[in-house]
Amino acid sequence: MSIADSKTQKYDRQLRLWHAHGQAALERSKVCLLNGSGVGTEIVKNLILPGIGSLVVVDSAIVSDSDLGENFFVTPAHVGQPRAKAVSDLLLELNGDVHGDYLQEDPEAMIERSPEFFKQFTLVIATQISGKSLRRLADICWEQDVALIIVQAHGLVGYARIQVREHTIVESHPEQIVDLRFDSPFPALAAFADSFDLDAMDSLAHSHMPYIILLLKALNTWKQSHNAALPSNRDEREEFKQLVRTQERKEPGVENLNFEEALASAYRAWTPTTIPSSIQSILDDTRAAENLTPDTPDFWIIARAVRDFVANEGHGLLPLPGTVPDMHSDTESYVNLQTIYRTKARQDAAAVAARVTELVALAGRAERPIALDEIDRFCKNAAFVKVLRYRSFAEESDPRTAEAKTIGNALASDPRDNAAWYVALRAGEECKEHLGRWPGEPDSTSGHEVDVESDAAVLRDAIATYLAARGLPTDAVSNDHVVEFVRAAGANLHVTAALLGGVVSQEAIKLLTRQYVPIDNTVVFDGVRSVASVYRL
Amino acid sequence: MAPSINSQQRWRGVYRYLERTGPFANEGFEPGEKVKDFLHTIKVLVVGAGGLGCELLKDLALTGFTDIHVIDMDTIDISNLNRQFLFRAADLGKPKAEVAADFVMKRVPGCKITPYFGKIQDKDEEYYSQFTIIICGLDSVEARRWMNATVINMYDEDDPETLKPIIDGGTEGFKGQSRIILPHFTACYECSLDMQTKPTTYPMCTIANTPRLPEHCIEWASVLEWPRTFPDKKLDGDDPEHIKWLLDQASARARQYDITGVTYSLTQGVVKNIIPAIASTNAIVAASCATEAFKIATNCATYMSNYMMYVGEQGVYTYTFELQKKDDCPVCGAVAIKIDVPANSTLQDLIDLLMERKDIRLKAPSLRTGSGSLYMQAPRALRDATAPNLVKPLRELLEDGGEITVTDQALPISMNVTVRFSD
Ligand SMILES: [Zn+2]
Repeated sequence: MSIADSKTQKYDRQLRLWHAHGQAALERSKVCLLNGSGVGTEIVKNLILPGIGSLVVVDSAIVSDSDLGENFFVTPAHVGQPRAKAVSDLLLELNGDVHGDYLQEDPEAMIERSPEFFKQFTLVIATQISGKSLRRLADICWEQDVALIIVQAHGLVGYARIQVREHTIVESHPEQIVDLRFDSPFPALAAFADSFDLDAMDSLAHSHMPYIILLLKALNTWKQSHNAALPSNRDEREEFKQLVRTQERKEPGVENLNFEEALASAYRAWTPTTIPSSIQSILDDTRAAENLTPDTPDFWIIARAVRDFVANEGHGLLPLPGTVPDMHSDTESYVNLQTIYRTKARQDAAAVAARVTELVALAGRAERPIALDEIDRFCKNAAFVKVLRYRSFAEESDPRTAEAKTIGNALASDPRDNAAWYVALRAGEECKEHLGRWPGEPDSTSGHEVDVESDAAVLRDAIATYLAARGLPTDAVSNDHVVEFVRAAGANLHVTAALLGGVVSQEAIKLLTRQYVPIDNTVVFDGVRSVASVYRL
Repeated sequence: MAPSINSQQRWRGVYRYLERTGPFANEGFEPGEKVKDFLHTIKVLVVGAGGLGCELLKDLALTGFTDIHVIDMDTIDISNLNRQFLFRAADLGKPKAEVAADFVMKRVPGCKITPYFGKIQDKDEEYYSQFTIIICGLDSVEARRWMNATVINMYDEDDPETLKPIIDGGTEGFKGQSRIILPHFTACYECSLDMQTKPTTYPMCTIANTPRLPEHCIEWASVLEWPRTFPDKKLDGDDPEHIKWLLDQASARARQYDITGVTYSLTQGVVKNIIPAIASTNAIVAASCATEAFKIATNCATYMSNYMMYVGEQGVYTYTFELQKKDDCPVCGAVAIKIDVPANSTLQDLIDLLMERKDIRLKAPSLRTGSGSLYMQAPRALRDATAPNLVKPLRELLEDGGEITVTDQALPISMNVTVRFSD
């Protein structure tokens, strides 16, 4: 409880979101940026500021005048010099805590020649890479189990795609965690509720009884006359509320906020405590259930321990989170309630921790125990943990395994859906491989004026081919989208770079801290309507 | 330095949109040199040089705006450095507007940024009327209300030049929003005041008698104990000594009540009403605002209509919708607000009723009718003269259906309220 050190002060506004352990995870991360493009530098700027561990920029470009209108991390003095060095110098200057390096190499050549290079990173961010090189990079990252984010900016449209084999999240940060066990009070809780006699209280104490006690007592009475069953239909629920109301004292000048809260939370009393199906399937997952090895991640060892807890000490329920929402109450009753829930939560977590110790030994990694903090966090969030298993970019790219329906349905329901931009981008990339430029982009070598009409026809054909290969109607993308895409012609706008820089860095932070929930797996942003759409492709 | 920058090359992305039209261009868009010149010469104002302001200055400079003004009353604090990327440790204590302007001008030659270190209220209509677009990256509801009302009051329907679009952004953690306000054409900030969440407050009786949370102990220390112990010293949330004192008091009270969780960070958070902030979210919201500024300045694409919420905690979610104008908006509405009260209630009751309304949020209202003052907060003599009205029943002061004008010292707002007797 000392006065915060300067690092804590510097990171204060973000530590309130992901706390010291999230920050530590961020500081362990190694990020690789392919191409120091406008969008690339905007993304990593927002990762260097909060303090990732290290950054490597791979880029063979030479700074040109066009970079000056797109990229904040070059200056006119850099024109003619290697972009990798220029941007990494100006980026690293943002935060002395971040280590950095650059490689003046062509990213596509690195992908071709040195696939093992990517193994050292926690996250690879690919910008301005498309076609064959991109597919190869995605394969490399998939094989080496390195997280990859693919980013593409095109005029006012932005696109990003995450590829990770498996991403586990303990702290998904739901709005609130409330598990009060009304239907199955543990002995200490039941005894505490029984210790109060509502009728014998003076009116001050009565009006300060926490709603948890009021509901526990009412439910107890209810169960006695209903064969221990919970109120289960509309009439019974109304009846139960009436039962709660009968305890209320109507005295002049006394506000019964606690009864108001009890009625508003009555649904919690008749909702049975269960294990959500998404959590059950994580506990039943083969990674938790079978074959623990020294390489089994902490998440799965704890998940297995929780599964064993549910089957034994937990009597079919998850470990108790132990938090009590704020409510109208006198101090003593509230603090006692907190202590009762917290004590039970500690007992549950201790049981899980004991099981984790056994499992760690069983897995053959007794020398690497799992920290108690980590187990506690898992127990507290047990009803909200998440496992994301992404589809590979290879599956998405192959028409036989593509999620074509997702795109088809989106376009069928709304012709302006962002899926149209996704298809245009994919088909546009095809055109780029043939034409050597984006449809609509002036030919820098010949200097010829671009024929917008014929480029639009080329793109239209490419889109039709793309759609047909996936069994979708060939006219699913509107002509307006084709014409507007050709108008943008691969334009790099700083505003789109900055917007994607924000979106992608948020996603990267969620991946690196393993907190909050990243997208699964593609986001497309339309800067005309200002709308983002997420697809699983 | 490179001898000269080829501007056709430098702005090739922006020009691609300005040299050709397309199906999503806005009505009235004319591609060509004129619109490029317009973009490069108009004056725009950025209000706030904090998390959003730093991003906005960069985004606008790299979109081709060359005459940008920025106004901010703050100086640089260490906790800004995790996101306000134009500031370094060596800049601590310096005015944000000036440091930000210098940085961007050095980085983006050809862009002129004029800083003003001071309050938005220091400037008058003449100052604000020089700008084509006003972009706000503010962190307070009050400052936004002031800017909104000031800019909307400037509009004269006979003079289209007086229509100043406002683009407004805000963030909190992984969430943010951006919006466009076209005075008298779209909803204004005041129209949607009830959408703003009020900062958390704790009931005084809880703080004084039945604390349950660490926050209650901290509020007790700052609201009750500080003024009692230091009647002449103003509490400064940025002074570590002050926070340390509060922390000690709050910790002692927490121990007394067996409450856990009082920390330095929480103490500072409660006292300063700190909102979590990261670079990423500022980047998203500022870029969205700058995109709209680019579209409004050039008409190269249709504008967002007219409000976007961005939520990044669980996946990515945007909700973009047209916020509706309110006919009885105190700032941009044409219709008086109607309020129903019993004829026997007092003027004070009416004021309480007005103060309670989430869609109006008055601070210190003054009320008058066409014929005279009912209650005025200032000057003092007038307040003393009108104070006796507060206890009078309304039927002695007004006709049923009578109209009163409500103003507020804190806000450039003047609204008409029709008072109807409900009995
Ligand atoms: Zn309005």
